[in-house]
Amino acid sequence: MLRKLTPYLFVLPLLGFMAVFTYYPILQSVNLSFREWDFMSPSKPWVGFDNYRLLLTSRDFWNSLKVTAVFALISVPLRLALALAVASFLIRETAVSRIARGAIFLPAVTSTVSIAVVFSWVFSTDYGAINGFIALLGFDKVPWMQDPQLALYVIIFVNTWKQLGYDVIIYTAGLQAISLEYYDAAAVDGGRRFHVFRRVTFPLVMPTTYFLLVISVIDAFQVFTIVDVMTRGGPAGATDMIVNMLYRIGFTLFDIGTGSALAVLLFIFLIALALVKARVIGRRVHYDS
Amino acid sequence: MTREKSARALWLINGLTLLAAIIFLSPVLYSIWMSFQTSDAYYAGGVDFTLRNYEVAVGQYNFARYLLNSVIVSGIVTLLGLSFATMAAFAFARFEFRGGNLMFGAVVATLMIPSHITLIPNYLTLARAGMLDSYAGLILPAISSGFAAFFLRQYIRGIPRALDEAAYMDGATPSKVLWRVIVPISKPAIFSMGLQLFIAEWNNYIWPLVAISESDLFTLQIGLARLYRVNPGEDVIDWPLVMAASTITILPVLLGFVLVERHLVRGITMGAVK
Repeated sequence: MLRKLTPYLFVLPLLGFMAVFTYYPILQSVNLSFREWDFMSPSKPWVGFDNYRLLLTSRDFWNSLKVTAVFALISVPLRLALALAVASFLIRETAVSRIARGAIFLPAVTSTVSIAVVFSWVFSTDYGAINGFIALLGFDKVPWMQDPQLALYVIIFVNTWKQLGYDVIIYTAGLQAISLEYYDAAAVDGGRRFHVFRRVTFPLVMPTTYFLLVISVIDAFQVFTIVDVMTRGGPAGATDMIVNMLYRIGFTLFDIGTGSALAVLLFIFLIALALVKARVIGRRVHYDS
Repeated sequence: MTREKSARALWLINGLTLLAAIIFLSPVLYSIWMSFQTSDAYYAGGVDFTLRNYEVAVGQYNFARYLLNSVIVSGIVTLLGLSFATMAAFAFARFEFRGGNLMFGAVVATLMIPSHITLIPNYLTLARAGMLDSYAGLILPAISSGFAAFFLRQYIRGIPRALDEAAYMDGATPSKVLWRVIVPISKPAIFSMGLQLFIAEWNNYIWPLVAISESDLFTLQIGLARLYRVNPGEDVIDWPLVMAASTITILPVLLGFVLVERHLVRGITMGAVK
């Protein structure tokens, strides 16, 4: 009898906490998204789809969606292209490659807040390193984080700098898994380096590319910290990513209903992406075996 | 002649690669350097070493307390998270039980669930339990790691069952088998997972931002963001002081990184490529 209970006892703590802090909140978010509430008032009246309607007709929502989409469209290809180039360049297991890969990987495990603070200094108008160089060359200072045209690109730069190392180690693992025979065969055929890359490496590393593509799109839709520290979504909403908008609606405007509706919409979108990822990984397993 | 030339080219490539790596990290390296400069020297463009910024960060701005909070919270999250994940992984890897597959499915599904959907409801749950502004409020929502459970289950499945069976023959209970047989063999996997859990929790920002308003309970991330944000006006930021606080925030992970980078890389690639 006790023997039969054993596995349940082993999974209980994990599943118990998951039920309370992961699964219940999903149901609760859906429930709250159909209600109007401000954290305080005793009643939470049912308002149907009003919160969704409000959201889909609000300027902020479309602005946020646009900002996040632009962020993803620029940062995802940038990350993948840079990472593949760096990983290919550092593919040999020499001491120098390993040190360089370690250096590039370091920001991926470093505090995002610290990185955002350090780059706030790098890009600061009056005392920053970049404007220091620009001044040295005799040009005017650029208000990097105060100019709506530039601020998002600063955020993209910092995020790419931080995440690149993760992509590089995944690509390195992917590239190293490609059998050397393919390269030898290509070399016998007299393939030139770029040719070998285009015809051999690139197609064979495609599953890794798909994997990173989906991961980095999901990441892009969850950016919060860099923006919160560097620009708070400003200037004039130019860097107002979706999660920053969610935080503002929920925890500074205390509009729980609308915040929950936004959370649910983003949730549905990200789950759809995650399912694409699951299929991609499934396909990759078939490639391997 | 050509060999000499190619040897020289290799040196050049290696040198340039290392230089590029240093340039890549230069913002962080320079921030550490700046944290040891006096404000006056920094703004005047001179060099004047001091530990004063660290004294101010610790004395006036409570960063020793934030450091302690971060260590406590990340440490407990890692220990409890690993224990729960290892126990569940053992059950999923070794026992056939009714509902087991369904439960494992529910655990794996959490890998896809973006954490932002839990923000508002978890805030409400902890408010109702009176646990906002407490260590418990920081720790409890973070200790169920579906990824760690999934990863460890895969690892444990690779351990020969004969080892378990030998122990059972000697009269061991399932918990004995777990702690005496499975855990010692799984050490490398448990270690890599522990590193990932610790780093993720150490760098966690949005949840402490939501759950904590009492400054004695700030983690380093919140303390640093506040210090930088207190006077957002460009001309009043004391950059060397801010960089000292930033260095305190990244240093533990930075030092650990040098020691365990390989384990970390292996854990992440195993998780992603498998």
